[in-house]
Amino acid sequence: MARIVAGSQITDAEYMRDISLGTTIIAVTFDGGVVLGADSRTSSGTYIANRVQDKITPLLDNVYLCRSGSASDTQAIASYVQYYLAQHQAELGGPVRVETAAKLAMQMAYGNKNMLQAGLIIAGHDSSGGSVWAIPLGGTLLKVPYAIGGSGSAYITGWCDKNWRAGFTREQAREFVRAALRHAMARDSSSGGCVRTVVIDSNGADREFIPNTKLPPTYGELAAPA
Amino acid sequence: MLAADTLGAYGSTKRYKSLERIVRVNARTLVGAGGEVSDFQYIVRLLDELTTDDYRTDDGIELGPKEIFSYLTRVMYNRRGKMDPLWNSLVVGGVEADGTPFLGTVGMIGTHYEDSHVATGFGAHLARPLFRERQSDAMSEADAEALLRDALRVCYYRDKQSINKFQIAKVAADAPAAVGEPFALETSWDYKAFAAPTKWAIGAW
Amino acid sequence: MSGIGTGYDLSATTYSPDGKVFQTDYAQKAVDNSRVTSVGAQRSREAVEKLVVSKLLVERSSRRIHNIDRHAGICMAGLLPDGRMVVNRAADEATNYKSFYGEPIPGRVLCERLASYMHLFNLYWSMRPYGAAGLLATYDDDGPALYLVEPSGVAHGYFGTAVGKARQAVKNELEKMKLGQITCREAVVEAAKILHKVHEEDGKPFEIEISWVCDESGRVHQKVPAEVLAEAEAAAKAALEESDMED
Repeated sequence: MARIVAGSQITDAEYMRDISLGTTIIAVTFDGGVVLGADSRTSSGTYIANRVQDKITPLLDNVYLCRSGSASDTQAIASYVQYYLAQHQAELGGPVRVETAAKLAMQMAYGNKNMLQAGLIIAGHDSSGGSVWAIPLGGTLLKVPYAIGGSGSAYITGWCDKNWRAGFTREQAREFVRAALRHAMARDSSSGGCVRTVVIDSNGADREFIPNTKLPPTYGELAAPA
Repeated sequence: MLAADTLGAYGSTKRYKSLERIVRVNARTLVGAGGEVSDFQYIVRLLDELTTDDYRTDDGIELGPKEIFSYLTRVMYNRRGKMDPLWNSLVVGGVEADGTPFLGTVGMIGTHYEDSHVATGFGAHLARPLFRERQSDAMSEADAEALLRDALRVCYYRDKQSINKFQIAKVAADAPAAVGEPFALETSWDYKAFAAPTKWAIGAW
Repeated sequence: MSGIGTGYDLSATTYSPDGKVFQTDYAQKAVDNSRVTSVGAQRSREAVEKLVVSKLLVERSSRRIHNIDRHAGICMAGLLPDGRMVVNRAADEATNYKSFYGEPIPGRVLCERLASYMHLFNLYWSMRPYGAAGLLATYDDDGPALYLVEPSGVAHGYFGTAVGKARQAVKNELEKMKLGQITCREAVVEAAKILHKVHEEDGKPFEIEISWVCDESGRVHQKVPAEVLAEAEAAAKAALEESDMED
């Protein structure tokens, strides 16, 4: 990656590096559905390429995907999975299970593991309730009660282990997601901006956007002026 | 009898703690794995395809542990031949149709052998010396399980990438293959010298 | 129906003056005249009876029912080698579906894919339609199901149906049964009875094959256990003798 400007070569400028979702993403099951959450920062080196990115991508009406890693790789995977799922839905003539979506994403991630930088969390709701599927870097597929991912997740593993409970209500799960993201954004420089959440249950998906200024301040920082 | 802990590590992070690393392939065969989890899941998918094809044939013959082991050695060596190895060490255990027990192990580059006791990873260094001292082909099931638990305990003490959550899987001529529920081992940390290591050696570390 | 000698039956891409594709009709005829009668009934089992081709044939060596996947099986009527091609294709479809989507192929999808496959052979001058039809038994998330796939590519789901020489007689019997309400075990006995009954007249030696996929079999498609088959055949023979006594 290089560019010639006025006869001199500018190599690897901050804003020209690989665009990456140094990120915090999370998904949690609750009684009757799932909550997905993500911060909104996309970086290129230390430069914030996008401060209001949407890292929660719909795969189907009832299944969403949280993306972390390379922005381009995860967008490509998401597009393929959307395409295959649409085809599958047409063949079945009915709703597609979350597990099927997760398995397709895994096939993409595992089959091209040497070329991809992608950490995915897939969550959704189907006839068997809400479920969360983690697909970390190598393309392993794991069904989990909750999953965290991205660079920010390292800062909140302990907090999540302590505060997660089986049998969360919808409101508890949403609050858990919000608080986890806030803690991660407070310490991880690659995570920041706003918080986006998606709640999926039998009634469908419900998106929420929490602007940066509405996030409660954390230790050592100041609240935004009113 | 096979045993493993249920940890899925992510670098040095102990990330996934309820990962089943022993699978039942069919009524007579068990496979346990260490190494890269996604590759192991791929191997499980291969084995599922293999046994489904076997089922489809419907000739009243079921693949035994020897055949499945042989298949796995070829898969592993084939991938290493492509310079794209499956990053696992595998253990295959089971009982042949005539009742003979079988135990074998395959490495990531296809190296393989059969023995009365095998182990992968840290187990190869810590558990096998114990096995060499105490294992015999004639030992009872209870003695074998006690030995296995002792070996697991040693591995838990000395392998940093292990957790105290294990599964034991069994298969015998008169008992079809089954993977047991996860359990924790009793461990000892209450020696006096542990609480105050330098009490009797002032000035030491 | 025959188009023999008219020249309109030489390829699947030639229509007769009244709009028929004789090649397709011939294929269906091959199934209809097959000396095999297959019965299938929802919930979900299938049965097949066949004439023994030769006294020298080893028992149970010529099979009509095949496993496709753990949850699916197919019973082929008509030309054996044609049937085997369809079975292999069904197995490939099941394997491919599983390796792509990571889950067993739903019965309806398998049925549709097989129908499309068989239909292909009605479309080109260089091919002939398969002289075989398949009764497909599956058990998936939507429950047990039975499908019939025919040489023309037609496929339907059924509560119960039959193909082969004695199909009409068998269907008459099936219509008398309350197919939705009997257990799989009862259905096995009924199938054996029907097959013995329709076979009573010609007195030629025959063999019965029965498989099932139901809750009792753990939703796995398999040959019914030997003792269940023996029981069913015994009951069938007893029922026949009883009706003979009444005559």
